[in-house]
Amino acid sequence: MSAVHVPSLTLPGPPDGPGYLVEARDVVKSFGETPALRGANLSVARGEIVAVMGPSGSGKSTLLHCLAGIFKPDSGEVWCDGQRVDRLDETKRTKLRRQCFGFVFQFGQLVPELSTADNVALPLLLNRVGRKQAYERAVYWLARLGLEGLEGRRSGELSGGQAQRVALARALVTKPTVIFADEPTGSLDSLTGEMVMDQMVDSARAEGATLVLVTHDARVAAFADREVVVRDGLVLDHQIVGVAG
Amino acid sequence: MVRLGLQLTLRAGREAIVRLVLTAAAVAIGVTVLLAVFAGYHAFQATSGRACWECTQAAPARSPASHLELWNYSENIYQGRFIEEVDVAALGPDAPLLPGLTKLPGAGQFYASPALADLLKTVPRDELGQRFAGTEVGTIGYQALSGPTDLVAIVGYSPPKLAALPGTIKVDHISTTKDVQGTTGIYRLAFGIGAIIVLFPLLVLINTATRLAAARREERFAAMRLVGATPRQVNLIATVEAVVGALLGTLLGTGVFLAWRPVLASISFSGQRFFLQTLTPTALGYAVLIVGVPMAAAVASLWSLRRVRLSPLGVSRKVSPPAPTFWRLVPLLAGIPLFVVPLLGIRNSLNSNNPQISPLIFVGLFLIMAGLVMSGSWLTMQVARALGRTARGGSALLAARRLADSPKTAFRAVSGLVLAVFVGSLLAAIVPVFSYAESTLGGNAASLTNVMRAPYDAGPGLELPPARATTLVRELGAYKGVSVVPIYANPSFNAQLMFGPAPSSPTGSHHEPAEQGQSPGGYAQYDSIISCASLRQMPALGKCAPGVSAVYANANNDILTDNPLEIDMPVVTANNPAAPSNTAGLGVGTLLVKANSSATLEKARTLLTLFDATMPMSSAGGLTAWQMGQLEPETFGEMAEIRNNDVTNAETVALAVVGLTLLVAACSLAVTAGGSIVERKRPFTLLRLSGAPGRTLYRVILLESLLPLVTAALVAAATGVGVAIPLVKALPKLRNEPNLALPGPVYYVAMGVGLLVALAVISSTLPVLARVTQPDNARFE
Ligand SMILES: Nc1ncnc2c1ncn2[C@@H]1O[C@H](COP(=O)(O)OP(=O)(O)O)[C@@H](O)[C@H]1O
Ligand SMILES: [Mg+2]
Repeated sequence: MSAVHVPSLTLPGPPDGPGYLVEARDVVKSFGETPALRGANLSVARGEIVAVMGPSGSGKSTLLHCLAGIFKPDSGEVWCDGQRVDRLDETKRTKLRRQCFGFVFQFGQLVPELSTADNVALPLLLNRVGRKQAYERAVYWLARLGLEGLEGRRSGELSGGQAQRVALARALVTKPTVIFADEPTGSLDSLTGEMVMDQMVDSARAEGATLVLVTHDARVAAFADREVVVRDGLVLDHQIVGVAG
Repeated sequence: MVRLGLQLTLRAGREAIVRLVLTAAAVAIGVTVLLAVFAGYHAFQATSGRACWECTQAAPARSPASHLELWNYSENIYQGRFIEEVDVAALGPDAPLLPGLTKLPGAGQFYASPALADLLKTVPRDELGQRFAGTEVGTIGYQALSGPTDLVAIVGYSPPKLAALPGTIKVDHISTTKDVQGTTGIYRLAFGIGAIIVLFPLLVLINTATRLAAARREERFAAMRLVGATPRQVNLIATVEAVVGALLGTLLGTGVFLAWRPVLASISFSGQRFFLQTLTPTALGYAVLIVGVPMAAAVASLWSLRRVRLSPLGVSRKVSPPAPTFWRLVPLLAGIPLFVVPLLGIRNSLNSNNPQISPLIFVGLFLIMAGLVMSGSWLTMQVARALGRTARGGSALLAARRLADSPKTAFRAVSGLVLAVFVGSLLAAIVPVFSYAESTLGGNAASLTNVMRAPYDAGPGLELPPARATTLVRELGAYKGVSVVPIYANPSFNAQLMFGPAPSSPTGSHHEPAEQGQSPGGYAQYDSIISCASLRQMPALGKCAPGVSAVYANANNDILTDNPLEIDMPVVTANNPAAPSNTAGLGVGTLLVKANSSATLEKARTLLTLFDATMPMSSAGGLTAWQMGQLEPETFGEMAEIRNNDVTNAETVALAVVGLTLLVAACSLAVTAGGSIVERKRPFTLLRLSGAPGRTLYRVILLESLLPLVTAALVAAATGVGVAIPLVKALPKLRNEPNLALPGPVYYVAMGVGLLVALAVISSTLPVLARVTQPDNARFE
């Protein structure tokens, strides 16, 4: 099932606007002289799957990092579930990331010394979930993503697609409200990429999680409920697409 | 390609520069310490190897007259410091010259060592200067001295005057044998052990420093392979990088050492400062380091790359390196018997010239230390596996897996500290044995601290004659604040020594012991007679029974000992039998002289010195112990102090060695901990991005260092104490003290401090962790 939300094309509504889970309002972020975001606006509804598109260097990752509370914007507001994320201190943002968000990056996000099961159980252990329960859930998620039998492997002993699915399992294992994925299939061949994308979208929908997905691949974007385009630090287009599948 | 390597090293951005600076700094610290150790060793060699002119012997009777010289060597003391004096008078034109002089002093002239010359300038003449006849005409060169603090005088006499002095001999050459002091052999042994102990962590530090952040470096090399560099070219570039860092470090370290050399020379090490001239690593030492360290760095760098297959697509996949096997315990298990077995045969007699010390124990020590380092990674892995099976939190899991995955890298960081623990434990078990000998005058003897003992006993019947003794006591008594207790020789005791055990009379002249009556009242079992009136001036010696005016006593053992522990006061109690009250006809074996201030004490000592020098040789036909250079007027306090100095020196050296090891180890730890953070920047940052609090990562870093440290340190401590046991048993027994003491509170405090140092060092890397993993700096897509 999916909660399709049709946002207005005007500026977002009141702070606690119904249904909006994550919002960026007039977010400006520069790195030294380089302006990465120049007043970006984006609203994502609970349970929505949004694809963020745009050319390389346009500011997609920066926008994602601002939404996830990794970067503090120079100006503008970031809201999550009625909270001003950009006003939280680092400790609170860390906690927010740990408990409410899941992340999938392009590659290299697994801790090399840890086994697959360790890597997936890690966020739970960090959340002080008991060891037994943490590993049970890790094994469950690995199995659900078709990775049974790989629990003892190191990241170096996995294929690119397998590693991304482990990363996905790790993102999902905490039952996050929002999953942020930054070009999760960018390093995979198209067939593998499609499979990972399928699993990601399916799992997100099944768990009722919101998914913010950065990509510059139109085929990947096709999995999303909605597609926005970032160009030169601005979110250009709030495009309504049909529900995939 | 070398130029490309240089370019990459020096101009490849901040990270490369930081790595270069860190490498150079770590190497510089290592090189500074190494140079100091080399220099100290050289100075020690030069000093202990200097010609022993004091050992000069009488010439054979048939020596040509032109080469002859009169020679009279004696020792003296000023405020607890020994003064060596040699009186010389040339008999011919080719009379031998002492080292450190350009010409012999003429009659009425003397040369003084720099330290003595300084003293003579400030101390009143009647306290010191009068002891040397004549005027000072120059300074003795360092060739004749063991250090800048040595007090030496070379005094010129006219031949007839010197010939009349007791103890004068004719010599035809100055001895050039090496100055072998009783303790030199032990010091050499200690230096050998110390050198191994200090060198080892230095090697670890230099090795660590040149392999800093290997993983990051490897990524860069992979990129170069991608653009077409061959593996050989990559190796060459890696080598250039390592050599540049090491060379910079070596030069920097040499500079620091040169700047600090004068300071080093001013530090009293092993109780004695060294001359700046001798405190040098020598040209060879410099050369070995400047060539050797960069070469070692190149080898270490190539060695670290040997397992890495750098394919153009990146560093060959991280497959777990082979886990350390049980074989890593072998060197340790082999080293212990090698060290222990050669010592087992030796009981309380280990010394310099002991042919039983097999060089195997050095091999054994080396193996033990190498073995501790090698087995450490195996231990680390075992503990990490155990922790991994039970870890509850994220940080414990991360640390356990990392440790199990690369136990060698993890252990390398703490190996220096583990060695320091081994060394500290070894020394902690040995030092108490020496400390037992260390003691100041306690109890009753304490009041004897400023009492000087002037021994005049040159053998049975050869004491200071009564008439001369009376003069001396009167002259001493003329000083305000001086009191004198003569210890008379018991003629019966002497008679028994000379003619076998038979009771002899206490009366009669000591010059003709054979003619003395053999009265049963002679108390031949007592060596001395003491007047009760004089005893009252030094109550510590004891008190006679009421009404008695003189007593028989056994005093010599207690008052002539050179070990404060052997003093057993009082020597006189009410039980001592009364002796004839008239002591006027008795010879004096020892004079006890007490002064109320150190100035007065030195005045009295000056008087004793001059008195001795004018005592006609014919008086008793022999030489007193003092004249024979065996004992000089020395206070009980000085005797204890001289004893203590040896022990304190041993402790200082031990502390210096442990301190150095700790310093170097802490540097190693800082470098490795910092390096491992930089190396794992990516996974750590990602963990923080996904919500791992900074605290968790700190704990990971702490656990990764502390776990191997604590485990291996326990093993090291046990090994250190364990191998100390046979060493202690082999050491010369100083007295019937308990041979082995378990390390005391100082040891545990020191270990605690070491642990705190380690914690502090690791904590100092945490800001690096915070900065490196700052989400704001993150760039992952
Ligand atoms: N940490 C950073 N430091 C400096 N510049 C950055 C950083 N992150 C992004 N930028 C710059 O900001 C702009 C947007 O980058 P980014 O958001 O990563 O683009 P995208 O993900 O769309 O490719 C680029 O010009 C990039 O160079
Ligand atoms: Mg990006």
